Amino acid sequence: MLLERTDWIRALTAHPAPDLHALAERLAAGCEVRLTRLPQAGLGLLQLADGAFHEAYYLGEFPLSICSLELTLADGRRAEGGAQVMADDAALARSLAILDAVLAARLPGWEAVSAQVHSGAARRDEEACRRRAVLAATRVDVALLGNVGEDENEA
Amino acid sequence: MSYVAIKGGGRAIAGAAAVTEYLRTEQGLDNPAAEPLAIDAILHQLRHLVDRVVSEGGVYHPQFAALAVKQSLGDTLEAAFALRAWRSTRPRLSATPPLDTSRMRLIRRISSAFKDIPGGQMLGPTPDYALRLLRLELMDESPEAFRAVARDWLENCPEADLPDSFPKVLDALRAEGLLPPLGAVRDEAPFDITREPLVFPVPRSAALSTLARAETGALLAIAYSNMRGYGDVHPTVAELRVGYLPVLLPHPVTGELTEAGEVLMTECEVVAMFEADDAGGKPMFTVGYGACFGHNEVKAIAMAILDRALQKGMQDGPENPSEDPEFVLLHVDGVDSMGFASHYKMPHYVTFQSDLDRLRTTRQKSGEPA
Repeated sequence: MLLERTDWIRALTAHPAPDLHALAERLAAGCEVRLTRLPQAGLGLLQLADGAFHEAYYLGEFPLSICSLELTLADGRRAEGGAQVMADDAALARSLAILDAVLAARLPGWEAVSAQVHSGAARRDEEACRRRAVLAATRVDVALLGNVGEDENEA
Repeated sequence: MSYVAIKGGGRAIAGAAAVTEYLRTEQGLDNPAAEPLAIDAILHQLRHLVDRVVSEGGVYHPQFAALAVKQSLGDTLEAAFALRAWRSTRPRLSATPPLDTSRMRLIRRISSAFKDIPGGQMLGPTPDYALRLLRLELMDESPEAFRAVARDWLENCPEADLPDSFPKVLDALRAEGLLPPLGAVRDEAPFDITREPLVFPVPRSAALSTLARAETGALLAIAYSNMRGYGDVHPTVAELRVGYLPVLLPHPVTGELTEAGEVLMTECEVVAMFEADDAGGKPMFTVGYGACFGHNEVKAIAMAILDRALQKGMQDGPENPSEDPEFVLLHVDGVDSMGFASHYKMPHYVTFQSDLDRLRTTRQKSGEPA
């Protein structure tokens, strides 16, 4: 089953950027690519709701690259794609926007993008698994002193 | 202040840069085994150093923070300065909506308020319970032994059936009516300290941003004054959490919130002394909040204490330095304060000549030989 579009960037960016560039260039080779927002690298501002009063504030900035485009096939089919990715790499945003358009509109080659999304998601799952292991390995079994045999209970 | 333009130091300045670079690479003299520090090695093996730089530089760019650490030979102030200089060259493209930190993918979560918290306490990576003794075996750690540690840990780590995120302790306390109610959601944008100067009084959002970007030692020093008695926050850590927060931005085509990446951050929520309600309501605990990029617990705790101290100062008037917004917020920035301290190394020939003249004149007037 295909992941939601909102999860594609996270999954795809689990792969090295050169792999994504190569796939995007291959899929866009037969299309006209019209940039609706030029690929640009800059900064995003991270806004949080504070945990005490849920008031908004800015924690800081992060590198951000953006691109939006429209692909047109020789037969006239069109697809819109876009990407905002946490990276200082405008070319990466462009490649991701192409992959986003191809997959969203099921343009020729979408299966290859779907496969990349799936394998990327699997890599992210492995990462999540390792993080959960960090939690599980250090889970505290707290008991009040004297209630149980303290440390021997953990032995 | 009076300064004077001078010339003649160009060759010395170029030489100083070359000498610094010589020191960085000196290990390579007649030593074929010497290798430059790899950015990846700094990122992973000096991660707390990198975390300080992303936090104090105010930009979550761990790779460039590691580069800054490398080029500054490990000086965190210089590294944060370099990162901020880089950020000043970049256009601002977007801002996230207010993100909910309860969605953090945690690697550590503790509470000193309750032994049982919803979801449980997990120590994660921490030196809190380790002996502060030198591990001499690391003096001569072989690459094989180095690689084996993580591999062995992963092979032996337990299967984990845990969620990615956990509910917050403060939410449980608030549900019991023990904390002040949440205010109405405001429409105005938070204060952006990168675009606007701090002109007092400033909103709490300005204070939180300034503290989040502050130098760890400066923040700790002022918070410590409060802990030791120049203040009365007396905090209890309701929850300290470290984890990865998904950064969500609208998809350019659909507008749906889409994950653009994630940031490692530390967040601390403290419960402080309760206050009576002047309007006759029930007394309630007061609360403080701290957060920063990277894994930096001391900074998050210190910030939470100062947030609470500043709330008190803004409400009742400051009685201690840590409760004075102007004193705290204008003195905790590492790049600002480092810059001011460093400027004293620059030529002050005219101002000092003036001081000399005045001293001599004063002596002459009092009948002493100049």
